Amino acid sequence: MEREIELRLVARLKSGESAAFEAIYKAFRPRIFSYLVRLSRRRDIAEDLLEETFLRLVARARDLRCDTSLAAWLFTVARNLHVSWRRHNALHEDRIFDLTPSWPVPDRGETPFEATARSETERRLEMALARLGLQDREVLLLVAVEGLTPSETASVLGLAPEAVRKRLQRARERLAAEMDAETASPQVKAG
Amino acid sequence: MTTGQWRDEFGEGLKNLQTCDAGLETVERIRGRCLAALEAQWQRHYWRTSFAVTWRRWLEPAVTFTLSALYLVNAVHSSFALLR
Repeated sequence: MEREIELRLVARLKSGESAAFEAIYKAFRPRIFSYLVRLSRRRDIAEDLLEETFLRLVARARDLRCDTSLAAWLFTVARNLHVSWRRHNALHEDRIFDLTPSWPVPDRGETPFEATARSETERRLEMALARLGLQDREVLLLVAVEGLTPSETASVLGLAPEAVRKRLQRARERLAAEMDAETASPQVKAG
Repeated sequence: MTTGQWRDEFGEGLKNLQTCDAGLETVERIRGRCLAALEAQWQRHYWRTSFAVTWRRWLEPAVTFTLSALYLVNAVHSSFALLR
């Protein structure tokens, strides 16, 4: 979304225009949902968190700064809600595979992303992303997939820009290692 | 495909990963709830603002005037009582 259009939408949303909310909802909903699905690896949780994210936007519409970056704001709220959900459920990442029908799980077939992947590369990237740890996954999703700048990502994650750069570098290395492992042993399914 | 070829495609591949959307029912439900919340919020803001404007423009001067008048009447009455 162009910055000028974004600023105008923020101003209109601050004054309570429902048309402004509709435009923001339409523009950002798929991105936020995809981010939450890849983060949580559960579609039902992603839907709940998506709803809460936009309800928070509405609740705080009047308090938004005029120069708010909607992408950074929405991804920050979505990410924080996901963190709260994880804390509330006190799930260690390893246990998620045991307790929930998440993916990738052996013998459960392809994930929705894998099933609709347009190419082999995309399918393998989805699988490799899903296998990464949460910290690596979220920084890659924000920077490489959603296209946030490192400084926007830093504000979303609550880190210094330098820390984000280091985390991103490590995440890329681990993704490359996962892709290499997938290339070397294509028969081995994750889980 | 070689490892090198994989690496060259990472950046583009990640950028081009599919965006998925919630189901239509969920999309509409969230939309409805948010619009209703936005409307309710602005109703509350409108009533608070309207009351504040009405108070400042009419009620406050009227209350001030009435209280002042009562004070004056009371003062005059007390003065006459003293004189008697």
